[in-house]
Amino acid sequence: MKLENFIILFIVIPMGSGVIGVFLKERVRIARVLGVMSFLATASLAIGLLIHLRSHPTGILVSQMGAWPAPYGISVVFDSLSGLLLAASSLVALACYVHSFSTVEPIAEKRYFHPMVQLLMFGVNLAFLTGDLFNLFVSFEIMLMASYCLLTFGGTRLQMTQAYKYVLLNLVGSTLFVIGAGLVYGMTGTLNFADLALFVSKRQAEGRSLPPGFAALSISLLLVFGLKGAIFPLWFWLPDTYYTCNVSIAGLFAGMLTKVGIYAIARTFPMIFAHGNSDANRIVMPLLAVSAAFTMFLGVLGAVSHHNIRRILAVHVISQVGYMVFGLALMTGVALAGCLFYMIQHMVVKSCLFLCCGIMERHTGTDDLEKSGGLLKRDWYLGVVFFIAAMSLVGLPPLSGFFGKLVIIREGWESKWWLSIFGLLTGALTLLSMLKIWGYAFWSPSAKAIERTPQNMSNTSSLRPAYVGATLLVLVALFLGFGAQPVYDIAFRAGNQLVNPDEYISAVLGPHALDELTQYRQQEATRLAAAAAVEVMP
Amino acid sequence: MTISSPVLRNSMRLILPLTLLYALYAMLKGHNEPGGGFIGGMIFATAICTYRMSHGFAAQLRLMPIHPRYLIFLGLGMALGTSAIPLLFGYPFLRSAVGEFHLPFSAHPFHYASAMAFDLGVMLVVVGVAVGMITQLSEELE
Repeated sequence: MKLENFIILFIVIPMGSGVIGVFLKERVRIARVLGVMSFLATASLAIGLLIHLRSHPTGILVSQMGAWPAPYGISVVFDSLSGLLLAASSLVALACYVHSFSTVEPIAEKRYFHPMVQLLMFGVNLAFLTGDLFNLFVSFEIMLMASYCLLTFGGTRLQMTQAYKYVLLNLVGSTLFVIGAGLVYGMTGTLNFADLALFVSKRQAEGRSLPPGFAALSISLLLVFGLKGAIFPLWFWLPDTYYTCNVSIAGLFAGMLTKVGIYAIARTFPMIFAHGNSDANRIVMPLLAVSAAFTMFLGVLGAVSHHNIRRILAVHVISQVGYMVFGLALMTGVALAGCLFYMIQHMVVKSCLFLCCGIMERHTGTDDLEKSGGLLKRDWYLGVVFFIAAMSLVGLPPLSGFFGKLVIIREGWESKWWLSIFGLLTGALTLLSMLKIWGYAFWSPSAKAIERTPQNMSNTSSLRPAYVGATLLVLVALFLGFGAQPVYDIAFRAGNQLVNPDEYISAVLGPHALDELTQYRQQEATRLAAAAAVEVMP
Repeated sequence: MTISSPVLRNSMRLILPLTLLYALYAMLKGHNEPGGGFIGGMIFATAICTYRMSHGFAAQLRLMPIHPRYLIFLGLGMALGTSAIPLLFGYPFLRSAVGEFHLPFSAHPFHYASAMAFDLGVMLVVVGVAVGMITQLSEELE
């Protein structure tokens, strides 16, 4: 039994349970059990593999589909980066899915709600695992198809209007993506990430420039990934989308969808498009830096100005994405590790806040801050969960957000101090907006809206799954805070492998792939040494 | 949408079996030559949809007594099953088993690959999607 073959289970399990789930349309209870089992299985598989691979020399597992060798076939790669993201995303999906048992309408369950959640995670897992650009596109499409369905379950006018914009925008993005992938193939003759990284490293070692237009191509792919990741000029679709759908689904989307875009940048840019000291690098880096500043700061200003819990949380996603782009814009091993840690902690914490928001809406019957209040007296447990999650988001030490921000901001202080100042300022404003929710909804005296709520709206027994989901995520968030060290050990490894892709290349393409490259590098080194010797001589 | 034309109704007797056969041919040919599950499925769906145009939805249900929606997931399950079986034998996902066997009345050995079952799954998905979409759209028209 080879371990490599089994990383495909991350894709087989959700896809299989999605397919079976379709035939369980009338048996809601069995469908739910199946879904929970599927997410539990992928989460435990990811965590188990991560622990197992800590003693592995590179920590990379590669499976070649159909045993076709690497640049020609499809490679599926499990490394530290994808492993951490898979573990976090499976846990978030599990929590949001359990939470949805108390929020989803029975009609949606009859309309294939359960299979769609599974298929969404099928796409997300494939995106994290795939080893080539075209399959990344495919996984984006799978994920988007499922998200279109999940957005429009209610079929209301408002949902349709928002979904229409979302579909249109993503169609444009996908078209650009597939054109970009075609151009990459035309320029380099390969789509495999490892092969592309080898191509770029080889060109740089030889001192030859990259093909003309490579920089423009990388900008167009940055545009696509930025659109999915909601970075500065491309974030306008996000707040409205999360506002209209079911709250558990909004939590799932807030955790997953933007992170997949950021993951795509983290996977392709340090290794390929902005590797080393290329033209693309000189154009992309300032773009990313400026975009990070705007994303962080404008996002949080938007959050401060809103007066509706769900909108505040949704706009906050944007501002937090800014920190991840900040990490990407530095593009050092440490900064990328910080970015990765921030991604997983943000997935967990942000989804947890959305799940809390779902319970709050059920208690007060509204998500308008002006009308709600007195929640702390009514439900102290929810208050505790919300407070821990909110403070993790703000980044109060010893909670998880602190460790993410600490690494990114400290790493940025040397080279881009102005970005770090933006980061600190954004943190302060984040605190302000979280305290706004806390003050209005939890601390203020109980408002009249609560008395008007029908009794069955906040019937506690139907809310039990919702509490389970939120509790699970807050426990994970606490673990990320108090157990940051083991997670960071894996994250640093991932960051270093992104900046220096030699290990990734030799894992995917075989040990001899690097031979030629090492030769070039040695020649270059001897040439430099000779030149230095000549300079010293006189 | 049903078109009440005796010419179409009668010629369907010839068109339908021929198109279905051609769809199967295109599907099987796809292993080494242009063709395959996708294009076979498209041709198959064309045949079903033309039949529906001439004979109506009730007749289509008699011909294909399952809602097209379920075909999509049957096909997906079939493709997934075929590609996951190699895992049990220690091979990577999607690995195809190939071999040959002799047919009783043929001099040539028949070359088979388990990828054919995968292709059949693809075909079912395509038929399900194409027929399903047209069913949905024409239901809205009617």
